[in-house]
Amino acid sequence: MKVTLSIARRELTSLFFSPIAYVVLGLFCLGTSLIFILFYYPGQPATLRNTLFWVVWLMIFLVPAISMRLMSEEFRAGTIEMLMTAPVSDAQVVIGKWLGAMGFYLALLLPIVAFIIVLACTSKPDFGPIMTGLIGLLLVGGFYLSIGLFASTVTQNQIIAFLLTVFVICLLTFATFFFRDNELLPTWARATMTYLNINAQFDDFAKGLIDTSKLIYFSSGTAFFLFLAGLSLQSRRWR
Amino acid sequence: MIQAQSLTKWYGPTLAVDSLSFEIPRGQIVGFLGPNGAGKTTTLRMLTGYLPPTEGQAMIAGHNVADHLDTARKCIGYLPENTPLYPEMRVEEYLRYRGTLMGMGPGEISQRIGVVTERCGLSLVRRRVIGHLSRGNKQRVGLAQALLHNPPVLILDEPTAGLDPIQIVHIRQLLSELRSEHTILLSSHILTEIERIADRVMVIGRGRLIADGHPETLVAKVSGASRVIVEVKTQPQSLKRALEGIEGVGHVESHPQGDYAMAVVTPKGSQDLREAVISVVSRNNWALRELRRPTATLEDFYLQAFKDLDNNTHKISA
Repeated sequence: MKVTLSIARRELTSLFFSPIAYVVLGLFCLGTSLIFILFYYPGQPATLRNTLFWVVWLMIFLVPAISMRLMSEEFRAGTIEMLMTAPVSDAQVVIGKWLGAMGFYLALLLPIVAFIIVLACTSKPDFGPIMTGLIGLLLVGGFYLSIGLFASTVTQNQIIAFLLTVFVICLLTFATFFFRDNELLPTWARATMTYLNINAQFDDFAKGLIDTSKLIYFSSGTAFFLFLAGLSLQSRRWR
Repeated sequence: MIQAQSLTKWYGPTLAVDSLSFEIPRGQIVGFLGPNGAGKTTTLRMLTGYLPPTEGQAMIAGHNVADHLDTARKCIGYLPENTPLYPEMRVEEYLRYRGTLMGMGPGEISQRIGVVTERCGLSLVRRRVIGHLSRGNKQRVGLAQALLHNPPVLILDEPTAGLDPIQIVHIRQLLSELRSEHTILLSSHILTEIERIADRVMVIGRGRLIADGHPETLVAKVSGASRVIVEVKTQPQSLKRALEGIEGVGHVESHPQGDYAMAVVTPKGSQDLREAVISVVSRNNWALRELRRPTATLEDFYLQAFKDLDNNTHKISA
């Protein structure tokens, strides 16, 4: 555990040293503020439901920008050799890296706290759905980051890692959206598509619902891609 | 302390290391030589457990690297080629991170950071960011991290690559100081360095061990090692005649050098002809300006070994 946390801490610090992190922070602040202002006018319900719905879309491009360097940079700089010749397991490396990136993701979400304060000062928001929405956003972030971490174990090129992550997330967002109502597909396939759609899974959290099946969706998805990342890391030794 | 048993590595259809076996006892400094692509780095990576061998096994301090990977890794201080470090970290912060990865406690880490930064000459740059350090200091940070957990075995892949002559001398001094406590296997292209500090040299070519022994023993094998060069005040022809009369002389070449004549005397075998040459010179009462027996260097041996390897390959393919 100490080793995993140590890897996470190093990753978090190094993320704050990379210029791309500040670009992501800046774009997120700008994007979410615009979204928030768009839905902030008299007569609207005092919730973040609409804002968070669009924030999830924004994350399709922002999270891969955080995750693209996680392993790729270690491969490119050769530091992976130092890391993998220490008595450290692949699982410790993968989980440590993911936790470090999650730390950065939490920092990224801080502007949303400002929106909550604005809502609280100007009206009487229902904090329940806001909190569940934030939990949902955390789960989405963890899932996207695990996909990104896997992509970055596949290549030492950060751009390829970025594009691969965006591609997988888009598959889970758009492909499932378009195919879930496609009548050419059998019922079970349409049901699978509906289940795999990230936005459909997130929507309940934004409404204020915490459904166990949705929790399982995000946690098992995250675990699956972290497992794939571990496998990919291990397979590099055998190539 | 370090043992390789038939280590073999295939990268797809390419054979990088071909059934390499050797044993390095405790306390030796061994220089690992070979041209680029000979399989040095692959061998070192197999010894450290970074790459699994296709066949064969590596043992470090009695631990089989494949079966007891973590225990074996704790026994090794490894400095990979090009010294990969995290440029955004401070020296002390990086060493602390390495210590945690090696499974050391906070108190032990602090104590060892003090020892290794002192030993590697990093005391003044402990708080500096690694990316801002000179190449020499980065190399020292790499060595410091290898020494941090006080491992019995040090494996260093080209620790002096890219350093200036003064920095190379510093690294050499440091390695000499470490010889009493550690078994060191280091690869290098700088043959004079290896010749000065190594107790033993292993030369690898095309994945196979082509020479193994004490540097002096290897150098003695190079032909031309026992030539004698003499310069006296006389005619080249008379010098040549006189020297050819010495028993055991194979060949004499002589040239005029102003009023003097210079001769290169090659013996038939490997005997030292200096005394015989001196007595010829004094018998003839010639004024002697120079007498020397140039010794071959490890570089001569290295070049000769690879020339032989190339010739053998041509013969086989012909």
